[in-house]
Amino acid sequence: MIILTNNPDVMKTMTERDVRFVDGTYRDVLIKARDLVHQGHQLLSHPLMGSLKPNETPYRTVALSDSGGPLDTDSLLLIENAIETFDKFAKVTRPDRGVNTPQEMLADFRLIDLSLIQSMEVNE
Amino acid sequence: MKLELGIIKISDIQFAAESKVEGSTLYVNKDEVKALILEDETFASCELDIARPGESVRIAPVKDVIEPRVKVSGEGGVFPGWMAKVKTVGSGRTNVLKGAAVVTTGKIVGFQEGIIDMCGEGAQYTPFSQLNNLVLCLEPVEGTLQHAYEKAVRLAGLKTATYLGKLAKDIEAEEIRTYETPSITEGIKLYPDLPRVGYVLMLQSQGLLHDTYVYGVDAKQSLTTMIYPTETMDGAIISGNCVSACDKNTTYHHLNNPVIEDLYARHGKDLNFVGVIITNENVYLADKERSSDWSAKLCEYLGLDGAIISQEGFGNPDTDLIMNCKKIEAKGVKTVIITDEYAGQDGASQSLADADIAANACVTGGNANTVIHLPKMDKVIGHIEYVDKIAGGWSGSLQEDGSIIAELQVITGATNEMGFNKFSAR
Repeated sequence: MIILTNNPDVMKTMTERDVRFVDGTYRDVLIKARDLVHQGHQLLSHPLMGSLKPNETPYRTVALSDSGGPLDTDSLLLIENAIETFDKFAKVTRPDRGVNTPQEMLADFRLIDLSLIQSMEVNE
Repeated sequence: MKLELGIIKISDIQFAAESKVEGSTLYVNKDEVKALILEDETFASCELDIARPGESVRIAPVKDVIEPRVKVSGEGGVFPGWMAKVKTVGSGRTNVLKGAAVVTTGKIVGFQEGIIDMCGEGAQYTPFSQLNNLVLCLEPVEGTLQHAYEKAVRLAGLKTATYLGKLAKDIEAEEIRTYETPSITEGIKLYPDLPRVGYVLMLQSQGLLHDTYVYGVDAKQSLTTMIYPTETMDGAIISGNCVSACDKNTTYHHLNNPVIEDLYARHGKDLNFVGVIITNENVYLADKERSSDWSAKLCEYLGLDGAIISQEGFGNPDTDLIMNCKKIEAKGVKTVIITDEYAGQDGASQSLADADIAANACVTGGNANTVIHLPKMDKVIGHIEYVDKIAGGWSGSLQEDGSIIAELQVITGATNEMGFNKFSAR
């Protein structure tokens, strides 16, 4: 499993996994995930996981399959929809995402993101 | 399975020396409730307050709302797996303190939203402004982790509701509402010509602060299964969900599920309400596939003609909703989905993060991006200072005069996806 993330806490905690750090925004993680989908990797986690809105949390983690195969159209649709939804939120509401956010709140955002991606482990 | 609800109407809550229900007033001994809550060493402090309909009071951030109930007869106890053993509930008689609620508040994470205004514009958007609320403000000891804090607040709410419910155990209710679900074979014999309708109830189960529990079991670890509708009225399902205020299903919603209420009202008349299928909303796509396969399989197995599917949350759960809808329709079962919308402040954008042609019958709980103006309240219970950091707020949301300009999504229960609200569209 490949884990794409811009959340340093995922990087630090999930050391047993193939975590690939994206030095960028929530959207950058989605774009990188789409690149991998085009290379034949399948999405394993939902790119919009969590009830935190895409214009609220600056952190995003996405899990994809290790090996590439033929293009998985379900994954492609899902990631395209996620990018479209992200852009909709960025446009219409609160453009100051992650800016001026207190450190304590950023830590909470990182914790939720980490906890959600770890939730697979209960059913693994 | 047959359950009688004894409705005991509560029109006021007062603090008093003795906790009791007298007439339509619920009297609460503050110290007793505090002592009960502070048994849990997670808490440094616990403050109790009362918020009544029409008062100039704002409660935030609301974690859960719980209706006090007590088992009078029949097996088990209210909130099985938490406040009672796991014995199956849903039969016999349960007394309900209708008009009263326990509201829990605590800043578990900084961005947590959930406002209940007891008067003004905001009060129109939340059903909880119509209740007499006993509000618990719960502060943890320093160093408490978010997981532990969430659990402690969840339990404090259930404990308090159970304590209040017990005050009504020996009261003979004037109004009795009866709900009964026959076995599958009895149902077929009783209503051979009526369409068989089921309810697929989707439970939020993504992880920390996004969880729901069934008889004490974390829903993310459960396969899709079946439950008698009356079990939900005894607290078989409770909320552990702290985010997405407008479209989360609080424990109060689970106890008073309007889809179940309405299907019972028509049961035996123009439809046969067969039962409830509960399914989860996990983060991993394999879980989504498995759970929605099982929803569809159970609909087919039960020989349903139609199914109503309700959702909880936004984004990721939209995918579960559409998967359920598509797969159930593919089994030849007609579906109606209940959701809400994030269609932008002007309402012009695509509403859901996922869609399919099979989802051609949809009920909406309203557009969560709608901008509202909440006037200043004389009193705030809880914490309001982060309103510009939450999902429905933005920089400058909290005005200098104490009023708030924000999106509807900040209001607890405003666009509820069980339809427990007044918004919709045609």
